[in-house]
Amino acid sequence: MTLVMVVDDDQDLAEMLGIVLTGAGIDVDLVSRGDEVLEVFRNNPPDLVLLDVMLPGLDGIEVCKLIRAESMVPIVMLSAKGDTHDVVRGLEAGADDYMVKPFRHPSELIARIRTRLRRTNADISGLLAIGDLSIDVTAHEVSRAGKKIALTRLEFDLLVALAKEPGRVFTRDALLGEVWGYRHSTDTRLVNVHVQRLRSKVEHDPERPQIIMTVRGVGYKAGVLGGS
Amino acid sequence: MNRNVFALKNSLASRVIFSTVLLSLGVVWLTGSALYSQLSAGVKQVNLETSLAEARSSFFNAQYEFLLVKGAKTSIITETVQEIIITSTEVSLNQDRKSIFLSRFGQSADPLGDEIAPDYSTATDELDITSFPTELRQRVRGSDLVEYKYATVKYKNREDADVLIAGRRIAIPDSGNYEMYLVYSLTNQNTTLSLIKSSLFFTGLALLFLIGLITWLVVRQVVRPVREAARVAQQFTQGDFSQRMKVESSDEIATLGTAFNEMALSLESQITRLENLSRVQQRFVSDVSHELRTPLTTLRMASEVIYGAKGSFDPTITRSSELLVAQLDRFERLLEDLLEVSRFDAEVAVLEPVEFDLVRLIERCIEDVRANAQDHTISVQIDHETEQVMVKADIRRVERIMRNLLSNALDHADEKPIHVSVVATATEVGVGVRDFGPGMDPASLSRVFDRFWRADPSRARVRGGTGLGLSIALEDARLHNGELDAWGALGHGAHFVLTLPIIAGSQISGRPIRPQPKDYPQPI
Repeated sequence: MTLVMVVDDDQDLAEMLGIVLTGAGIDVDLVSRGDEVLEVFRNNPPDLVLLDVMLPGLDGIEVCKLIRAESMVPIVMLSAKGDTHDVVRGLEAGADDYMVKPFRHPSELIARIRTRLRRTNADISGLLAIGDLSIDVTAHEVSRAGKKIALTRLEFDLLVALAKEPGRVFTRDALLGEVWGYRHSTDTRLVNVHVQRLRSKVEHDPERPQIIMTVRGVGYKAGVLGGS
Repeated sequence: MNRNVFALKNSLASRVIFSTVLLSLGVVWLTGSALYSQLSAGVKQVNLETSLAEARSSFFNAQYEFLLVKGAKTSIITETVQEIIITSTEVSLNQDRKSIFLSRFGQSADPLGDEIAPDYSTATDELDITSFPTELRQRVRGSDLVEYKYATVKYKNREDADVLIAGRRIAIPDSGNYEMYLVYSLTNQNTTLSLIKSSLFFTGLALLFLIGLITWLVVRQVVRPVREAARVAQQFTQGDFSQRMKVESSDEIATLGTAFNEMALSLESQITRLENLSRVQQRFVSDVSHELRTPLTTLRMASEVIYGAKGSFDPTITRSSELLVAQLDRFERLLEDLLEVSRFDAEVAVLEPVEFDLVRLIERCIEDVRANAQDHTISVQIDHETEQVMVKADIRRVERIMRNLLSNALDHADEKPIHVSVVATATEVGVGVRDFGPGMDPASLSRVFDRFWRADPSRARVRGGTGLGLSIALEDARLHNGELDAWGALGHGAHFVLTLPIIAGSQISGRPIRPQPKDYPQPI
């Protein structure tokens, strides 16, 4: 059974989330304080964390950083504010995705969680290459010259999405659909922030990217093999 | 020159100094001229009197000497003439030069028959006698008195000179009648006069300079606090409310300073109060947003769970659950719109421009709106000149504008098709949304962007719009420096035209699409 940790200080909302997720066949671990998250997390590692931004004890952004420091588990932030500032702060702290309260439909939340949990790119296996990186899709590993690079599952998915079609230019919308599972979204902040994060991990010089190239006004594409 | 005019127009001090100096110049000029004419008249008078007195004595002496030698030998007479010439041209201390001119006129006296009467006509100092005024000579010939005249005479070996000429008729024995002239040089007098003139001139100049300086000092005392006030006021407009004027005395200037400082204090406290109010307002809006959204999320999820199980309820509860879900939707939309409006009112709405293809965005909005309006059989046609129109704008806001315009058009289309047109120029892009519904009268048109305003209150709220959509769309457009225009005519439908700069924030210079649609009959 899949286990999702729900961190929210609003008891009613947490309970409701529990009902909805349980109804969808997902186990739920409820935590109401920010400073209790890490202990529960270590004792019973979940498959995904649903994290509210405003929390007593410890701010959701801080909690996100702490979890990210020791785990690549998918994190979805819940925010009552749609303002860019909070969203970007959450994404930069290491969240994979975010949802603004109130959600359009509970099914939307479940769909997001499923997207983050499913093994994307299940159709491909074996080895891929992008620039001087080699990607072992089956083993879920990225390495450069034999040295492993640790990526979150989302970052891995993003890299594989670009690498499996080396010539193609992906628009931000296309990446949102492919990696995040959004049908209609104009929120390109998600893509921008994660591309920046991924670049900081895989590029030699994130200021002059060679692996994930920007195509001005369109989107991104994979760097050419051996391109200098 | 222009800069000086500018300085005069813009500086009170320079203007006051300039006009004071100008007026003083007039006064100094008048008094100086009067003084000079008085002085020069005096000097000339004294000089004239001295010279004439001396001339009279010379003439008298000459006449006397000639009387004494009457009948003597020619050689003695000649000697006497020489002597007279010498004594008459002797200069006194304050005289520059004195010349003499003797000229015989009329019949030579007493011809002796064998001898020709000697002519003693002479002129000293190389005097050019042709330059003598003939008018004076006639007067002298016809008179027994001393005649005089100021004139300019020529010298053969020197420059022309201003002189005073005194002349008298003299008889020389055995020779005839002579005009005897004494020519007094006026060089000394002129030197004195020019000295007086230049002294007066420089005194006047110094006086003017001093007056200017004094005016400057006085004006500075008045102008300095005014300048200080202006500087402080300027700092105020730039947002530095801590500036105050220095009050050092108890005169009118100090009153100005005190009044100014009181105004500053009151302004500062007002602004601080308003700033605090605005901050409180913003925090309140943000808190309301957070506090309302969390329970609304719970409500939404609960209603969805109930709605999902509606098959097992009896019909009234099923319908109730449907209404619950629908009304929660509406409540949420209203909340979102209200928050957006309050963000505009608090002027905290920010633009997040990205580059995107406007045509594709509009096509997607049309698809979505059409999908949500399945019960309507309205066709939406899009008409664009170019395949894509790349713009740099806040995509979320542009999408919201388009959704608002499209759903508004669908609400009022009366099942007739809707036309969407896109026209782009180099600097701006126009999007027109045209419906052929009942249209609007001018009174409705003027209120169409008002909050919560509905064209026809009795009309069913088909799509459950919040009543804030168009007003938010207008704010969204203006945030981009764009514009949203509406046109409508009763029975001819309505036309909403969005004009956006290609790059958000730059100015729009026109309307690629005119609000009055092409299909509408033009008034002749």
